[in-house]
Amino acid sequence: MANKSSPEEIRIGVFVCQCGLNIAGTVECEDVAKFAEELPNVVYSDFQKYTCSEPGQQTIKDAIAEHNLNRVVVASCTPKMHEPTFRAAVQEAGLNPYLMEMANLREHCSWVHINEPKKATQKAMDLVAMAAARAKLLEPQMETKVPVIQKTMVIGGGVAGIQAALDLADAGYHIYLVEKQPSIGGIMAQIDKTYPTMDCSI
Amino acid sequence: MAEEAKFKCLRCGHGFTAPYTPKVAEERACPKCDSNSVRRLKEKKDS
Amino acid sequence: MADAGRHPNIELLTLSEVQRVDGYVGNFKVTVLKKARYVDEKECTACADCLEVCPVVKPDEFNLGLSTRKAIYQEFPQAVPAAFVLNMEDCLGNEPIACGKCLEACEKRCIDYDDQDKEIELEVGTIIVATGMEVYDPTELDEFGYTQYENVITSLEFERLINSGGPTEGHLIRLTDRKQPKTVAFIQCVGSRCEKRGNPYCSNICCMNTIKDTLLIKDHWPEVQCKVFYMDIRAFGKGFEDLYKRSMAAGVQYIRGIPGDIYEDPKTKNLILTAEDTTTSELKKHEVDMVILSIGVVPPGDMDNTQQQLTLQRSADGFFLEAHPKLKPVDAATQGIFFAGCAEGPKDIKDSVTQAGAAAARANRLMRSGEVTVEAITSMVDPELCTSCGICARVCPYNAIYVDTKKKTPAVVVEAACAGCGTCSAECPFGAITMRHFTDEQIMAQIEAILAENAQDKIVAFACNWCSYPGADLAGTSRLQYPPNARLIRTMCSGRVDERFILKAFKLGAPIVLVSGCHFTDCHYINAVTWTQKRIEKLWDKLESLGIRPERLQLDWVSAAEGQKWARVMREVEQLREAVTAKEIEHTKRVITEDMLKKRTKKVKAKAEAVA
Ligand code: SF4
Ligand code: SF4
Ligand code: SF4
Ligand code: SF4
Ligand SMILES: [Zn+2]
Repeated sequence: MANKSSPEEIRIGVFVCQCGLNIAGTVECEDVAKFAEELPNVVYSDFQKYTCSEPGQQTIKDAIAEHNLNRVVVASCTPKMHEPTFRAAVQEAGLNPYLMEMANLREHCSWVHINEPKKATQKAMDLVAMAAARAKLLEPQMETKVPVIQKTMVIGGGVAGIQAALDLADAGYHIYLVEKQPSIGGIMAQIDKTYPTMDCSI
Repeated sequence: MAEEAKFKCLRCGHGFTAPYTPKVAEERACPKCDSNSVRRLKEKKDS
Repeated sequence: MADAGRHPNIELLTLSEVQRVDGYVGNFKVTVLKKARYVDEKECTACADCLEVCPVVKPDEFNLGLSTRKAIYQEFPQAVPAAFVLNMEDCLGNEPIACGKCLEACEKRCIDYDDQDKEIELEVGTIIVATGMEVYDPTELDEFGYTQYENVITSLEFERLINSGGPTEGHLIRLTDRKQPKTVAFIQCVGSRCEKRGNPYCSNICCMNTIKDTLLIKDHWPEVQCKVFYMDIRAFGKGFEDLYKRSMAAGVQYIRGIPGDIYEDPKTKNLILTAEDTTTSELKKHEVDMVILSIGVVPPGDMDNTQQQLTLQRSADGFFLEAHPKLKPVDAATQGIFFAGCAEGPKDIKDSVTQAGAAAARANRLMRSGEVTVEAITSMVDPELCTSCGICARVCPYNAIYVDTKKKTPAVVVEAACAGCGTCSAECPFGAITMRHFTDEQIMAQIEAILAENAQDKIVAFACNWCSYPGADLAGTSRLQYPPNARLIRTMCSGRVDERFILKAFKLGAPIVLVSGCHFTDCHYINAVTWTQKRIEKLWDKLESLGIRPERLQLDWVSAAEGQKWARVMREVEQLREAVTAKEIEHTKRVITEDMLKKRTKKVKAKAEAVA
């Protein structure tokens, strides 16, 4: 990793999200953004009201272009929620999506330390510092595209399994419907009339 | 195969014995505080 | 149902169970065990000639033992496939001397006593889990007398009883005298909504099922009196309230209060219920001819197997856990796997069908484009550092690493098989394995950032991507409050947490280190979590030998559904942190630095010797 032809200068941009009051209600986002300015390799840092919104994402893209950013830290919510969003955003701005790192200031900070705003802000700063330290060392990763086999296995031949199998079979996929009993039908087949329409189950 | 072993909870300090099979990885929880920081105390070999 | 049997694109594998699932989204390899049917599925016309000659009589499982079947039988008349099945355990034997009657009777010759169980290999792009539910067994709630009195039956048994295809051809009778009952009592929430026995959750379907049953009774036998004992009637769905009103208008009595116990009058076999009507606070006795226990819904018994094969997670109620309750309600956390029906929680037929449609749409969306992008978060071996010791190959849950320990060729990773847990990297004693996107350097940098200032105030916590991290997220969305001193480092699997990370944290002054991951049954990487546990156990010994309290290294398994547990663990480790003294931390820093130095000089010496 060290002997690249011209060692690229790392330029990190930090985007602190207020999430309306979800984060800003507890964490001083402005202070966190200011703090981040001082971190190694950080060349841009600011806060937004809703980073995942259209204008929020545009801010990221613009900053990447304007400040020549090559790493991005988004300090907002759990990556389980918006990692795909922000990866796509930096990709649109020409960066490898794996050069974006998130700090979880909402689920892991503002929402669980509501009564301790000072300490929560302190923690948020640490989380951003951690993310920036990691971001500095991130490398582009290649995603591979693999072909998808046009077949589905449905485990369980009850009403849900049958329905899912039929829908996909009608759409043209080959379905294996795996049922442990000798017949499909499941519990539904044992029921006489079903609510709310009171018709026969089979 | 299963033998008894002594365990100590590194969370609340509770000591207890439980069945233990060497080489089989089993999930353990402290019966008192439910933590998983449960350490098996090895028999002192020299004594 | 019959449509599914006829559809040219659907291949039915009945009497079949999933044995093994390998691979990843778009490319799953599945082994299915198809048990012998002993009857040719395609040839059998269900003529029932065999049935007439079979001498064996067994209780019929489909009718819950309310009727009988032969050793060769069809589950129910509309069965799909329409073929018979021979139960070898019940069959008298294939020797003609023993029996062999059905073989003779079958004109089409489709019975084959030598039929074998078969393993079938499938390759599929997506998997839909529709493993359904089972009904609650009310045996443990003995006050209702289910095991003692014949006229106490479950709601599912009642279904079979009044089914025109069922054992009584649809006549409403009670079991002791086979006479039509005058009064029928329904008891709601049996096995549901109770913290102590049965299950704490609401089973969702039983209120409406009872309302439906009362209407069926009132439609056919208006003279039969119905009493429903309930806690609440939950008639929340479209058209449900109407049915409830219709049932009340038809004269069904709804009594708010669950009977404390049920006794049988030994002479009449009638049942006597004592219940307090909580709307009037009146304690009253009710004599009825028959009691129907409105039993709840439980996860099926073989769910563990499915869970482990597919590395799924379950919520506290025992049903499968969805990737996100609102954003991805039918997706599993594992890409390419979807839920339909009760596998994910108790549901009625309408909701099951709705969810099945959603699951099919999600699977279609994934397969339509013909390709998926997969993250290449795999391991890489540096052949320069590898000594061919073979440890990585031994710990890899996917057999994704190959090392020839005899020929001493460096380890090779089969990238397509590597799932990226990082266990190999953590276990390699020579630091020869790098994890893409979760490198040692990146993780070390996070540790350094945490402990750069006021290290004594901070807890270094590792959380795995699939369980503990989302478990902490759930604590957040539930707004559970806990002390703000922990700093989380996310790894794909707790198996990634190298002992060097932990020692580094202690060396930099961390008072407490917490490692958290999935419960053993939830482990997303088959059994990688067992290596985490072994590693931590070893480290406890090592810390102790260095004179460091092993208590300072904490371990917890927290699932994605255990937000409560996460908050509790956070409170507990904070207490432990407060007990760590400054002196202790200084001592730890010193001994670990010394220990690391010692190791390094040893290595240098060994190298020098090797060169010499
Ligand atoms: S990025 Fe996350 S934290 Fe920010 S506004 Fe969107 S949801 Fe809220
Ligand atoms: S649906 Fe009705 S009977 Fe069933 S558990 Fe819920 S409240 Fe009780
Ligand atoms: S554990 Fe490390 S040194 Fe041993 S074979 Fe694997 S990569 Fe090589
Ligand atoms: S141990 Fe984990 S990371 Fe290593 S090769 Fe196997 S699956 Fe990949
Ligand atoms: Zn304990």
